[in-house]
Amino acid sequence: MSRDAAMAHLETYLAQVRRNLKGLSEAEIREVLLELRAHVLDRVEGHLTPRTVETALAALGSPREVGRANVTERVAAVMEKDRSFFGVLAAVVRLAGLSLAGFFLFLVSLTGYGVAASFLGVAVLKPFRPGHVGLWRTAPDTYSMGALSHPAEGQELLGWWIIPVGLVLGLAIGYLTWRFGRFCIRAMVRRPAREPGVSPAV
Amino acid sequence: MDTKRTAATEDELGKWETQLRKGGLGLAVLATLWTGRLYGLEMLRRLEADAGLSVPEGTIYPLLNRLKSEGFVTSEWVEADAGHPRKYYSLTERGRVRVREMAGAWKGFARGLERLLAPLEGDPR
Repeated sequence: MSRDAAMAHLETYLAQVRRNLKGLSEAEIREVLLELRAHVLDRVEGHLTPRTVETALAALGSPREVGRANVTERVAAVMEKDRSFFGVLAAVVRLAGLSLAGFFLFLVSLTGYGVAASFLGVAVLKPFRPGHVGLWRTAPDTYSMGALSHPAEGQELLGWWIIPVGLVLGLAIGYLTWRFGRFCIRAMVRRPAREPGVSPAV
Repeated sequence: MDTKRTAATEDELGKWETQLRKGGLGLAVLATLWTGRLYGLEMLRRLEADAGLSVPEGTIYPLLNRLKSEGFVTSEWVEADAGHPRKYYSLTERGRVRVREMAGAWKGFARGLERLLAPLEGDPR
């Protein structure tokens, strides 16, 4: 009876960890849960009671922290193998639902890549629609930039210079967004656990 | 006021110490595998017994997974007498090379720092 209650307690914990493993494949989730189960069973050393399981689970950490640590490390490890634009973007997307920091990183990346794509788009479109792509001053303090079907009335400021300007700004912003993504993901991995950190044994 | 400042300083010191130890944790985990394969709990116990490192148990597996992904360790599930399978980790050839390199870098760093810190010993200022 006590053994059943202990196993039920363990399974409840593992189900809670599973809920915090969003972003991992089913095979990865199975691997994580199997290993945690084995760890707890090893730790209780044959004395499977609700109390020993509770002690083992407390040492592992909360399901939320354990889940997050697993997802962040695995996503970061995949990103380190593929540091391309797509590799970093895929990692950012996988971490978006994990925490507030992950969601913030996703928003910043989305904005950064969006702005970069807009600048690059302007540079690419200029030769095809020269009269519709540009930077206009429509009032003393009002500017309008982009590819517009009905260009604003006003002075066009950049002319053909918009091509190199768009390319440089687009590539620079895209590069910085990519670097920022890598930096943040590595920082999320390095971040000390809020629960007991690596500490000298007492 | 002073109590608050002391608490804040201790908190900062604690964070710094955590970062320092976390930086060395990868080396410590790889070093535990030098003599042969181990499963997670064995590694944790060795870290505590041999190096005085008490690692939050839930963090060891993500770290091992990263080391595996980087090609420094390999793992295999083994049916154990305990009645459940255990996942054993062992160093790859690349891992052996890396742990030697890391140990060399760590020792060099520690020696340099010890020389630098020597004047602090016994200086009451």
